[in-house]
Amino acid sequence: MPTDHPPHSRSPEEERAERTVAMHTDARFLELKRRLLVFVFPMSVAFFAWYLLYVLMSAYARDLMSTVLFGTVNVALVFGVLQFVSTFGIAVLYSRYAGRRLDALADSLREELHGREPAAHAGRTAPQDSERSA
Amino acid sequence: MMFAAETSDSSRAITLLLFVSMIAVTLVITVRASRQTKSAADFHSGGRGFTGLQNGFAIGSDYMSAASFLGIAGMIALFGYDGFLYSIGFLVAWLVALLLVAELLRNSGRFTMADVLSYRMRQRPVRTAAAVSTLTVSVFYLLAQMVGAGALIALLLGIAPGETYLGMDADTAKIAGIVVVGILMIVYVTFGGMKDTTWVQIIKAGMLMGGAFLLTVMVLGVYGFDLGALMNDAAGASGAGQSFLEPGLRFGTEVPGDALQTLWNKLDMISLGLALVLGTAGLPHILIRFYTVPDSKTARKSVNWGIGLIGTFYLMTLVLGFGAAALVGKEAITAQDAAGNTAAPQLAEAAGEHFGGSGLAAVMLAIIAAVAFAAILSTVAGLTIASSSSLAHDFYNSVLRGGRATEQDEVRVARMSAFGVGAVAIVLAIFAQSLNVAFLVALAFAIAASANLPTLLLSLFWKRFNTQGAVAGIYGGLISAVGLVIFSPVVSGSEKALVTGADFSWFPLANPGLVSIPLGLLCAVVGTLLSDERDPRRFAELQVRALTGAGAEPAGDH
Repeated sequence: MPTDHPPHSRSPEEERAERTVAMHTDARFLELKRRLLVFVFPMSVAFFAWYLLYVLMSAYARDLMSTVLFGTVNVALVFGVLQFVSTFGIAVLYSRYAGRRLDALADSLREELHGREPAAHAGRTAPQDSERSA
Repeated sequence: MMFAAETSDSSRAITLLLFVSMIAVTLVITVRASRQTKSAADFHSGGRGFTGLQNGFAIGSDYMSAASFLGIAGMIALFGYDGFLYSIGFLVAWLVALLLVAELLRNSGRFTMADVLSYRMRQRPVRTAAAVSTLTVSVFYLLAQMVGAGALIALLLGIAPGETYLGMDADTAKIAGIVVVGILMIVYVTFGGMKDTTWVQIIKAGMLMGGAFLLTVMVLGVYGFDLGALMNDAAGASGAGQSFLEPGLRFGTEVPGDALQTLWNKLDMISLGLALVLGTAGLPHILIRFYTVPDSKTARKSVNWGIGLIGTFYLMTLVLGFGAAALVGKEAITAQDAAGNTAAPQLAEAAGEHFGGSGLAAVMLAIIAAVAFAAILSTVAGLTIASSSSLAHDFYNSVLRGGRATEQDEVRVARMSAFGVGAVAIVLAIFAQSLNVAFLVALAFAIAASANLPTLLLSLFWKRFNTQGAVAGIYGGLISAVGLVIFSPVVSGSEKALVTGADFSWFPLANPGLVSIPLGLLCAVVGTLLSDERDPRRFAELQVRALTGAGAEPAGDH
């Protein structure tokens, strides 16, 4: 692995790695991981199943897909447009969830890990975090 | 005859003028960006200073290639509803990128996909494998775009067989198109790096959305904004009637009396659907876009912008496809290009004619032609960056130099690689002109879905995953995807096959994804379990970094 930071003496890097590894079993990190996974895994399964249902019905349920609902609009068109709607919807839902449940926690853990970093590095990352909600 | 012979000299002049001014603007940007491109982060990742909106436009631009714009519009124009399947798969795919990949990649990687893949593995084997798959995917995609560019330019300049323009016949114009696109792409990437490529993409996305919106409004205007009337007219003109608005004309077709072929056709359709939805988050040129923003939150915002733009664009494509079916007609489209790739420009001409006579027809054709040309340029530039970054960062620096190359060295090699990849692509594209563009794109997606996505997800989420698993997963997915295509009806044993006179097609599906994606995953899992290597500390470090952003690469100083 090429080093990610300007070469210092080895010990601060090892110390940083040590703290990062320790964070992996920290209760707050486990909570962050849990919050991420309980959203993204079920949601991924859901949209994938929903999409697969659309593809399978397009292949095998053509009579149903051809049913005209009104005017020129049939089930196939509505189903297709609903895939767009669900994609937009999930993107919005995820962003709201991440803003509410993930970002602040991730920010505080990152701050803590950066806390004892060399000042130059902390100074460079600080401005990006200014919009963080406390 | 319909479109080409009527293409007037005035239209050609406007088209050329637009092409040339567009090229001039992008070259000015290149010069400006080249002055600011010094470090490796500048070249590979554009300084990481782009906003979510800017990167969202660039993402849309990378993705809405000429194949999307011209190919999908043409497919809907010829086959109706089935063209929509591509749009839906291409769009839903972004949820994989949003939920599982974009932010974690931004937090834990630097320049390439392999940064994340190799984080807790032995560097050389994993980076070599990742570079091989990055190059394979990008080159197939690149060929698709460049072959399309050649055909498009000949068609847009309206050179009919036997006719010449500026001393070029149609075949010469095709080669000229490929060479011009290739040289421009080399210039953008070699001099301007990712920063310039991103700006070219932002401009192109604006042009593409604007052009598509204008044309959509005009088509709807013809029908008094009555979508039902447009669809009725399209179905009527298609000759297929109501079935034009239903699935089944193009994919998963039912062959009366041949249950086996019907079964293969339907499985092939499902196979395509899988590759479309799982390929996106494994495309190297898409993945490296997440590195151009300052942090993971901005990466998320940029994917959201991308989803909005791409979704809106595909909905407009539906109107354009139906519009082309209704206003241009199947015969006129296939007379110009059998695959329907010129349906959108032909529609622009027809819509212009409807509202403002031949003058407006010429202007509209020129605008849409310029938009399509921009679409090709920006996508090929993105693909070239992905290839050259992987060659320089993964292969040259990590594999050959053991990670000890200086930034200047790495950037120098990246520039040389961009030149090399561009030159190879130009030559290959000239020889690959007979290949089907949609086939090349679908193959690139299938390889990305089989080789890249499973290993990427396993390296982020599976603690036990190791070097042997990653290497087996990448090569397994890559070889099975390419191998199955070689033994498919695409290459031999069918009327449209590449090889005539021999039949070695024992694999019945044109799209390999249904088999190669599970196979890639299986190789990764079995490869992992057959090796004792495990590194829980590095895994812990990777996950903490990926989820919190600790130690993530900061934005550049300028």
